[in-house]
Amino acid sequence: MTRWGMVIDAARCVGCQACTVACKTENQSPLDAWYAPVIEWEEGEFPDATLNYLPVLCNHCEDAPCVTACPSGALTRRDDGIVMADEDVCIGSRACMTACPYGALHFFEDRGTVAVEGAPAEAVPSVPERYAHQRHVRGAVSKCTYCAHKIDFGLENGLEVGVHPLATPACVVTCPAECRIFGDLDDPDSNVSQYLAEHGGGEALRPDAKTLPSTQYVGLP
Amino acid sequence: MTAVSPMAGGGAGPQNVFMDQFNLEARTQRVWDINHAIWFTLMGVGGGVFLAGRILNLTEGLGYVLGIPTVDVVSFLAIAVGGAILVADLGRPLQAWRAFVNVRTSWISWGAWSDLIFLVVAGLLVLPALSLGGSEPFSGLDWDPHGGDGGGLALEIIAGVAAVVVMTYAGAVLARPRAIPYWNSPAVPLQFLLSSAAMSVAVVMLIEVIAGEPVTAGQMVLLSVLTAGLLVTIVAHLLTRTGEPGKRESLERLLRGQYRGLFAGLVVAAGTGLPLVLAVVGAAASGARDALAVLCFLLLVPGGFWLRLLTLRVGIFPPVHIPGVGGSVATPAGG
Repeated sequence: MTRWGMVIDAARCVGCQACTVACKTENQSPLDAWYAPVIEWEEGEFPDATLNYLPVLCNHCEDAPCVTACPSGALTRRDDGIVMADEDVCIGSRACMTACPYGALHFFEDRGTVAVEGAPAEAVPSVPERYAHQRHVRGAVSKCTYCAHKIDFGLENGLEVGVHPLATPACVVTCPAECRIFGDLDDPDSNVSQYLAEHGGGEALRPDAKTLPSTQYVGLP
Repeated sequence: MTAVSPMAGGGAGPQNVFMDQFNLEARTQRVWDINHAIWFTLMGVGGGVFLAGRILNLTEGLGYVLGIPTVDVVSFLAIAVGGAILVADLGRPLQAWRAFVNVRTSWISWGAWSDLIFLVVAGLLVLPALSLGGSEPFSGLDWDPHGGDGGGLALEIIAGVAAVVVMTYAGAVLARPRAIPYWNSPAVPLQFLLSSAAMSVAVVMLIEVIAGEPVTAGQMVLLSVLTAGLLVTIVAHLLTRTGEPGKRESLERLLRGQYRGLFAGLVVAAGTGLPLVLAVVGAAASGARDALAVLCFLLLVPGGFWLRLLTLRVGIFPPVHIPGVGGSVATPAGG
């Protein structure tokens, strides 16, 4: 069984936010919704101050509290472990947002304006199938999908997921420091499994939440 | 058009010149607020008044609206208005029917079903008594609207069970996920249940006073037990897991921060402690019982509302990572 996962080596991150922007561009997420930001914070006092970076995104948890809380069934976990949000099914209760310990869900709030002049009230805008993931529904919740559209495209076209740029999440492809590695956590020979093995395993954010995340970290400050 | 993004919900620290909101800090949930507090309160009162009316045997004799006991009308109205507020607050209200889908794991789905079952079954129960323009068009229905026969009793039991779920599920919605430590406690649904029950007894006593019926010592004893239980639950919740990240900040805000006055004054003192004292006095002294009952109502209902609103407003997510504190080893790779 495949379980897609991402390893983030926080020690490698240089804080360029290229992942943040690549994700935004790839997914055309709603205004102010950032699926893959980089948290940064200072430590210490001058001249011994350091700047730390922590890339974050949906953890695609095995025991996903967002899926549990969602009343409409809009949030589901695929067999390959990716947690998806079906914006057409979402009712906008935002229960998932209060249930997610990572703040990985984003509500596209309808304030009575339209994103595109003349766009229908419900959907903005009409897009070809190739870009269906870029269509967002106002009043619904959206989230990182590990660029599932790219993974599916890669699998359909015989491309190696996590290696070929067309079959790998945009944030991973664009990272200049190669701090993100994507692959099959259930395959001991995959790049992610090998990387985790070399580093003695991965760490989880918010371990108290016991969500069994597929996004794992090494080199956490 | 804006998007509410928790990841970008932290304070606007000066560190990040590119996107100033992505900082490592605890963040307050801003997803649910006053609309949800009103909804929680009305649902609690709605389910509770139906139950209290029956437990105290007060459905008859306190006035009728269109042939239906006033107590039941208040209950239906509270749940209908609460439900309408909830639906209006959804991002996509026209899709509200989908809230019934995920009964396997979602407490909101359980709540939606319990609201619906309650309104339908309790509505059916009282339907034979409905009076329109002097006629009773449903009087031919073969059950006693006061639960005096088998059919009426069955409907009353089903509606009663649904009413208990209606009173409790809002707290369960908050308590189940571990994301917000202050909410993640059985004390929250227990507080909501006890607060709903206390508010409901107070509402029924108010209806009694308006109807000119005497409030009894037994009702005052029941109210004092409920408010005492609520007070114990609130205090116990304040004293447990106090050092846990997230809950620590919630308690700080409630006990020493911006909500100190509202919490100590409106929720604990005026909304719970004082009604407890008044109910105890009312149980012992018959003379001023009606006035004390009205006072209890005036204190308990705002107190219950503020309990819910402040519970929502001190919902704080701890930082996703605390530097120097290693996360646990995640699920092993390689199967």
